[in-house]
Amino acid sequence: MAYNLSVKLRNEYHCLTLAMMNERLKLSELNGLVKNAVSEAFTAPIWVIGEISELKTNRSGHCYLNLIEKEENGDAIVAQARATIWSYTFRMLRPYFESTTGKQLTEGLNVLVSVSVEFHELYGYSLNIRDIDPTYTLGDMARRRREIIARLQSEGVAEMNKELDLPLVPQKIAIISSETAAGYQDFIDQLIHNPAGYHFDLKLFPAVMQGNQAESSIIGALEQIYLYENFFDAVVIIRGGGSQADLSCFDNYNLAYFITQFPLPVITGIGHEKDDSIVDMVAHTKLKTPTAVAEFLISGVAQFDLHLEDLNNRFIEIVTGLIAESKNDIEQIARVIAPLTRERISKANNRLNQTIWKLDNSVKIFIQNRNNQLRRKEEIVRYEFKNFAQLQLRVLERMAISLSGILRQTTIANHDRLIRKIQRSETLFKGVISDRRHQLELSMQMAQLTDPNRILARGYSITTYNGRALKDSNLVNSGVLIEIKLFNGQLISEVKTIKKDN
Amino acid sequence: MNVSKKNGSYKEAITEIEEILRQLENNELDVDELSEKVKRVSQLVTLCKEKLHNTEQEIDKILKEMDNN
Repeated sequence: MAYNLSVKLRNEYHCLTLAMMNERLKLSELNGLVKNAVSEAFTAPIWVIGEISELKTNRSGHCYLNLIEKEENGDAIVAQARATIWSYTFRMLRPYFESTTGKQLTEGLNVLVSVSVEFHELYGYSLNIRDIDPTYTLGDMARRRREIIARLQSEGVAEMNKELDLPLVPQKIAIISSETAAGYQDFIDQLIHNPAGYHFDLKLFPAVMQGNQAESSIIGALEQIYLYENFFDAVVIIRGGGSQADLSCFDNYNLAYFITQFPLPVITGIGHEKDDSIVDMVAHTKLKTPTAVAEFLISGVAQFDLHLEDLNNRFIEIVTGLIAESKNDIEQIARVIAPLTRERISKANNRLNQTIWKLDNSVKIFIQNRNNQLRRKEEIVRYEFKNFAQLQLRVLERMAISLSGILRQTTIANHDRLIRKIQRSETLFKGVISDRRHQLELSMQMAQLTDPNRILARGYSITTYNGRALKDSNLVNSGVLIEIKLFNGQLISEVKTIKKDN
Repeated sequence: MNVSKKNGSYKEAITEIEEILRQLENNELDVDELSEKVKRVSQLVTLCKEKLHNTEQEIDKILKEMDNN
């Protein structure tokens, strides 16, 4: 084929040379020649690899693309071509491609397409795409994915967001989603109406969630959230959608890198069934759906709540136990203390009673002793006096007896003298007797006189002042009260005037 | 779930309750201190419950301010 092509080209070139030599060509004639040359050179479709840099469809369903080739390991474009897919082909190719790859046929994809090379006089060079090989794109995407992952890992950033600590209670949530995205409203409802009634502070940072703008749009939202880094507990990136959804924007290096460097934990719920995207891989926590993210957040709060309840219950249990224990202790102490106290009190009481009784007794004994002593003294006085009086009487009687004896003897010896003597003695005796009697009487009278009552009975009185007999008027002042004891009763009198003896 | 510097009041509350529990379990608390601790724990639990279930005005304000930026 290469040979045929070169022969053809040589023939065309020959024609061209002739034309240029003989006449000046119109542009259309030239373009016609080119067209012929091209169509003769490319009789069969050719499989070509290119990256879609632009893709548009018009109203009639035709698809217009721009294919480019970039420098290896670089971004410089080294080749490009316009391409078309006519509507009837596009209607078949697009679903085929998208269902096979799970990706939207869109800009940024490397594709292997079967093209016919065309040249139009007016529109110039273009490729008409007739077929597409989705497996190439799949392989290419997988390779690119692997490259991105390898790059993130070699840069040592892949795990950085995972190393962040999720707050104990994730309540203040920044949401990156599209307000119209399927699953967004469900997510909000699920959080707000959670059965336990936990409160969530939710803030949407809207972003485009698919296509080529997704990368810059999501990064823009993250940049905004970054301004409130200290406010939010976590960022969630959510998007509903089935398996058909195009997730290629989440296999983006820049977005993934941005997430690894983000200071808040990022939780994803991008809604896919197959492989995780790179954003999922670098996120702090990856979940399949927005619903799962909502459940995760609620369960996080619930876990804290449960822990709190648990601590509280344990606390109450211990405190209740302690109180019961203390109560028991006190009751036990009370049981011991009450009888002990009663015993002490009764002992003290007994001692007191004993003391009182002893005191009472000793006072009585003392008084009795004193009384007895007094009585004994009184008796002694009486007895001694009686003895004295009897003694005197006996002395007198003995004297009388001896006298009468003497008298009788004298009578016998000398009757007359005796008579005289008797007479004389009688006179003498009478005198003596009378003297003695008188003496005796005097003594008795004296004895009687010493009895204060007798003296009082005779009209004397005893004046006392302050309980002592008053013998000197100098010892009182006028106005004081003195007691006067009479034979019968006593007087309390006030001293009016004091007269002194000299 | 790991703990970060965020929601400090939750963390502090839990830490304080756990410390009181520890003291209780190790018999380091006097019966006289008990009523004070009971009051404190109940206060902390109420505070957390309140925060778990209700909007704080201050937070609402910050969220509204974001809309204006």
